[in-house]
Amino acid sequence: MDKLLRNKLAIIVFLAPAFILFSLVLFVPICKSVFYSFCDYKTNYPIRFNGIENYVKLFTKDTTMWTALKNSIFFMIFSCVTQLIMGLVLAALLTNIKKGRNLFKNIYYLPCVLSSAALGLLWMFVFTPTLGINQMLASFGILKDCTEGPGWLYDTNGFIILPIIVISFVALWQYVGQSMMLYMAQISGISSDIYEAAAIDGCTKTDAFFKITLPLIKPMVATAMSLNAIGSLKFFDLVYNMIPEGFLGNRAHVLATHLYDQAFKFNKLGYGSSIGVVLLSMCLLVTFLINKFVKTESYDM
Amino acid sequence: MKKRLLATVLSAVMAISMLSGCGGKSSGVEEITFMVWDDLNATEDLISKGYKDSIDRFNKDFEGKYHCTVVSTNLEEYYTKLNALVAAKETPDVFIVSPGPNLDDYVKPGVAAKLDQYLDADGGAWKKSFTSDAVFAGGTYDDGIYAIPLNIAAACVFYNTEMFADAGAEVPKTYDELLTACEKLKAKGYTPITISAGTAWCLSMVAGYLCDRNGLNLDDIKNHNTDWMDAKVINAGKQIQELSQYFQPTAAGDDNDIATAAFYNGQAAILIQGSWAIGQINGSCAEGFADKVGVFAFPAVSGSSADPNRVIAKSDSLAMSSTTKHPEAAIQLMKYFVDDTASKYTAEVGGKIPVTNVQYDEKVAPPELKYVMDVFKSANATFGFYNESLADTEAGSTFDNCFVEIFKGTAPEEALKPIQQYYEDNVWK
Repeated sequence: MDKLLRNKLAIIVFLAPAFILFSLVLFVPICKSVFYSFCDYKTNYPIRFNGIENYVKLFTKDTTMWTALKNSIFFMIFSCVTQLIMGLVLAALLTNIKKGRNLFKNIYYLPCVLSSAALGLLWMFVFTPTLGINQMLASFGILKDCTEGPGWLYDTNGFIILPIIVISFVALWQYVGQSMMLYMAQISGISSDIYEAAAIDGCTKTDAFFKITLPLIKPMVATAMSLNAIGSLKFFDLVYNMIPEGFLGNRAHVLATHLYDQAFKFNKLGYGSSIGVVLLSMCLLVTFLINKFVKTESYDM
Repeated sequence: MKKRLLATVLSAVMAISMLSGCGGKSSGVEEITFMVWDDLNATEDLISKGYKDSIDRFNKDFEGKYHCTVVSTNLEEYYTKLNALVAAKETPDVFIVSPGPNLDDYVKPGVAAKLDQYLDADGGAWKKSFTSDAVFAGGTYDDGIYAIPLNIAAACVFYNTEMFADAGAEVPKTYDELLTACEKLKAKGYTPITISAGTAWCLSMVAGYLCDRNGLNLDDIKNHNTDWMDAKVINAGKQIQELSQYFQPTAAGDDNDIATAAFYNGQAAILIQGSWAIGQINGSCAEGFADKVGVFAFPAVSGSSADPNRVIAKSDSLAMSSTTKHPEAAIQLMKYFVDDTASKYTAEVGGKIPVTNVQYDEKVAPPELKYVMDVFKSANATFGFYNESLADTEAGSTFDNCFVEIFKGTAPEEALKPIQQYYEDNVWK
């Protein structure tokens, strides 16, 4: 180790690519965004510093911001809870079957690697009243007519509107494979000695899951949860692709789509940056909270 | 050691000079760029194909002197990409743009060049080739003209003549007659109107017509002589609600493609759409359908003092970069977009209204174009899509959302509050 540290050149050479990339594509842009969030900045026009005006407007005037916050927080809670449960269940099931494990692993993981834009379009067709599910229900005689069923993507009743709930299920379907893989990796790392010892002591499979598997994969729960929380806070593509742009007005906005509209559709880059800064702070806060409250001491296995 | 250092330096110099070698062309050809919102090599859109044709002719005719390279992107991210190029000081020499708030963003900061001197050159020969000065309205600012229109699309009401005859409905001249016609169509079991509330501008176009027919003047709104709580706007809102009972039941969720398809497939009797629909009716619909289609102007609202002969029109326009190094080549390219060959194509193939005094063959042109031309010629004035004519793009989008709320059944007085608020906070202050 000492010898390694003595070679300054090697250290610099190995660190440089990561350092340069990180600062150029992440750190510098973040600092710039923070600066722009205090400016009135439209492309083609000169930048004008306007203090905290953007933030004041964001939290006092902008009703869409509250809708977006509400929807994003719903996404976050929903995805953290459901991904945790579904991911664990799938991982536990798959580690316990012998035949077809790889097949099912691939099936569950497949949506993860497909493009969200294409999936968004596909699911939009599925939920379009004249094309998809409603048509199917009508042909089975459950609905009288395809125009009668629920407006999956355009119902506007309730505190959390139906389209947001529909999309959160699609997101669960798309990303559950990822949580499953993380849990599976951790579960397969648990030594089979422990299970054997437990079995000799008369432990059932269910007991083994709750008393051995769960405690041992706790560090991964914290990691997977943070990933889910951040992923769902900055969630953009499915919402952008599945929600018809007109009918819902501003009801189906999440933070990222609100940011996109303000910055790029309405050319208010400064204001968009301030939404981005809020989003970034939320991600940091949530990660901090999860890591604080989900205890992550690792056991020696 | 010294030798090695020298070798390194030399090879670095060579590599750099190779890279820089790509930049400087010294063949004497003036290279210009043109940016457009469609992939001209892959497009199915007839109008875009016409653009490609104009560029090809330009490159062929001026071979060795000028050359134009096309920068293409899709419509959704067009302005984002254009803005990025402007910020990088690589503004395309010529770019396509919609008049209204979008063009404002290039004219006000001085990105687009003033074009009067080119239009007025040679005794104004180029300017005279256009049908009237009115076609420049969208590109005209306080101190001159900044954009050249390419073609005009007018929003009209398309109807299925067979269904109208079967239901005994007549072409309506007034809003009340439109309701009567819809009632008759409905009684016969037809869907009277197909429209998309899922694609905001479709409903917004009808809302714009109704506001205008009720006598709303957008300049009054702009100058705060009236506001969005004006009885004329409220009335337009109530009429949208009244009309909505004749929309297809899935209007809320259908996007524009699905809604227009219902008309093309003969499922609905009326489609309110821009004249670009003509290209689709003649291009992709079933054989013989085009013969069944008629066109009429949006009906008047009785009791209103508004001029019923005003038409919503939209034009694609060209702007030139104010920093272009080759203004002559750029202007020459723009002229190719509106010369006789291009304008003939616009009318005969594209089905849009040409902006120049060109003689086109009416027999070759789609039959619907004649109807649209009739509507357009009898129009006393044109006005833009409402969502592209307000203070800025966000105001337009807010307007769209308000009318969707009204369509959903919210009382107009309540639903119009966001646009009122937006103007109070951002425009009238």
